[in-house]
Amino acid sequence: MLADLAQNTLDGLMLGSAYALLALGFTLIFGVLRRANLAYGPAIMLGAYCATWVNLSFRPGLFVLALVTIAGATLAGAYVERLCFAPHGRRTLSRDAAAIASMVGSFALWMQLEELATLWLPKHLYGFPPLYDGPQFAVGPLLVRVEYVAILVCAAAASYGLHCLLRRTRFGLAVRAVVDEPEAASLAGIDVPRVFLLVFALASALGGLAGYLIVAAHEQVTPMLGMWSTLKGMIAMMLGGLGSLPGAVIGGLALGLIESYSQSLFGPQYRDLIAYLVLFALLAARPAGLWAILARKPARAA
Amino acid sequence: MIRFLAAAALVALVAPAAAQRLAADVDCKPTNHDLVYDCRIALREAKSGTPVSGADVSVGADMPSMPMAHNVKPVKAKPGAAPGEYEARIELEMFGEWALRLDVRGPVRDVIVKKLGFREAR
Amino acid sequence: MDEYALGVLINMGLFSFLALSAYLLLIAGEMSFGQQAFFGVGAYAAGIGTAMWGLPLPVAALGAMVLGATAAWLVGLPTLRLRGLYFAMATLAAAEMFRIAFELVRWQRDVDGEPVGPDGTQGFRGIRWVLEQGIEQAGYAAIVFALLAIVLAALFVAERSRLGATIRMVGEDAELAAVLGVNVQRVKLGVAAVAGALAALGGALYAHHNTYIEPRNFDIMLGVHSLAYGLIGGLGTALGPLAGVAIDIGLLESTRAFQGYRMIVFGGLVAALLIVRPRGLLDETVVNRIAGRLRHRRAR
Repeated sequence: MLADLAQNTLDGLMLGSAYALLALGFTLIFGVLRRANLAYGPAIMLGAYCATWVNLSFRPGLFVLALVTIAGATLAGAYVERLCFAPHGRRTLSRDAAAIASMVGSFALWMQLEELATLWLPKHLYGFPPLYDGPQFAVGPLLVRVEYVAILVCAAAASYGLHCLLRRTRFGLAVRAVVDEPEAASLAGIDVPRVFLLVFALASALGGLAGYLIVAAHEQVTPMLGMWSTLKGMIAMMLGGLGSLPGAVIGGLALGLIESYSQSLFGPQYRDLIAYLVLFALLAARPAGLWAILARKPARAA
Repeated sequence: MIRFLAAAALVALVAPAAAQRLAADVDCKPTNHDLVYDCRIALREAKSGTPVSGADVSVGADMPSMPMAHNVKPVKAKPGAAPGEYEARIELEMFGEWALRLDVRGPVRDVIVKKLGFREAR
Repeated sequence: MDEYALGVLINMGLFSFLALSAYLLLIAGEMSFGQQAFFGVGAYAAGIGTAMWGLPLPVAALGAMVLGATAAWLVGLPTLRLRGLYFAMATLAAAEMFRIAFELVRWQRDVDGEPVGPDGTQGFRGIRWVLEQGIEQAGYAAIVFALLAIVLAALFVAERSRLGATIRMVGEDAELAAVLGVNVQRVKLGVAAVAGALAALGGALYAHHNTYIEPRNFDIMLGVHSLAYGLIGGLGTALGPLAGVAIDIGLLESTRAFQGYRMIVFGGLVAALLIVRPRGLLDETVVNRIAGRLRHRRAR
């Protein structure tokens, strides 16, 4: 019984670290640009499809495939940014109207990118070279999946890397300035549109990394990856706290744990139901998210 | 407005055929072209099992997720070899699960929906 | 008009109900990713009404609308004080819970020796009331569009009334509305309930047109699309979301040359359109300008 609980916790944390990586990218865009990017997952999927195509044609090593995924996702993300986020500046529209216009635009590109991907590679499922092909190992009664440990390590490294970038570099300083006071940052000489583009590219790259790790761990790519990634990223972000990077990690891990426990207690059909129920309840009661609860911040609904 | 509604109601009442419960077996085989399938349909009365011949059968397709998102024009099925058998060639837009809609008119009226998974040839 | 074209028109009409449902909440200031849940509630409720209990469609549809309004009210009660993406995600979560509930419900009754009713993920087939009444596509299209016309007429009347002004004020600036004495929560809940009923009506008509429904019909894609229709077509008038529906489904049908590339074209077009018209096609400014010109011409 205790071993089951421990195994579920371990599985949940591993699953959650994949969600955390997805959430980091999504939250970076939302936290800095204050807009939701519905084309986030499809951009990742396009990157994964690039890697799949490269794999089908050349069969390169893992590292190359990872780079291709990241590059593909980043390029797709930059395309989305240029077409849907950059044009809706703050000059002609209110903040809300710009956010909505960008979101609807990103929805349109979501459809477009998904169709591009499925036209390119129309099969319902493609095999993908595994992240790790050797034996799994056990720590006592607990089964530890090596590929998920890799994801956990990458998620931790990415979080730490982001933290250093934001706290210790000039670019990070510019980003934080833009988040706090965009007009003031612009007046201080910061090229705000360029910061937005770079942040977007970074977020898409993180998404690409997450995408690569996920498809390699599952050893398959399906057309569902697009919407699935956006959804998990958004849910994790909302669970953890809108626009907060530590929240994204907490939210991702929490989502993983919730899914893991629900599945083991009630079966796979109830797994998603309970995750949505938790999200709904959290939004109804404490919309500021888990991070705010943990850090004891005041509730903020908007 | 009322006149229009009355006319519509009259049109609706002048129905060509009585609705009757039918059942169908559908078997689709892939052709040389990707996403083009030759489907054989066996139409029969649900209760008695008697095959229904000479019916006007149209085969349409839609995907359960996001209805009306695909552009598959319905095709008229041609009568097949045996009584109650029909053949139609359909062209789908992508692989996956599709809901085939068999629109049967004359002599009996019914709509049968059959879900089929169309997987790529390995 | 051939059967296929009629079918397309009927689908445009059905999705218009959903688009109007999302539009109502939008002008009240809330973005809902979850109206498809009430579309589904309406579909299942009406299907159960006619196929399992032998009720005529108008009665079943009315019952479906009541259920849809109730469900929307229940979802709105804890969530309507949220704004922006918070509310959107809450409605998304609620809608997905409804969809999973549809997957879990298995309730069948013996009708004429055959089991009829929702069968979880296998869906609900045999909703044949329209066929049994001998109503053909043309007749059904007339019914759908007659109902849509009634709804539009009601919306136009409401827009010109004080109620419409109050709702738009709540949507524009809820704090100001509250200061002026409007019970914001009650207005939003009312709008949510009406929107739920509208979506449910669309769902009831959809179930009877298709004769077969399944939980996957009511997924997130449907919800995000119905929200987008209003935002693309413009929120200045109830015709805006209808314009959005027409662009999407109309584009699908009219550009047979683009077959298979429809979403690529649609996606690019919408993104480009939004650059030029970020508030949609028929936004408030455009509608006011057109209304002003009409008034000016009438005054001459």
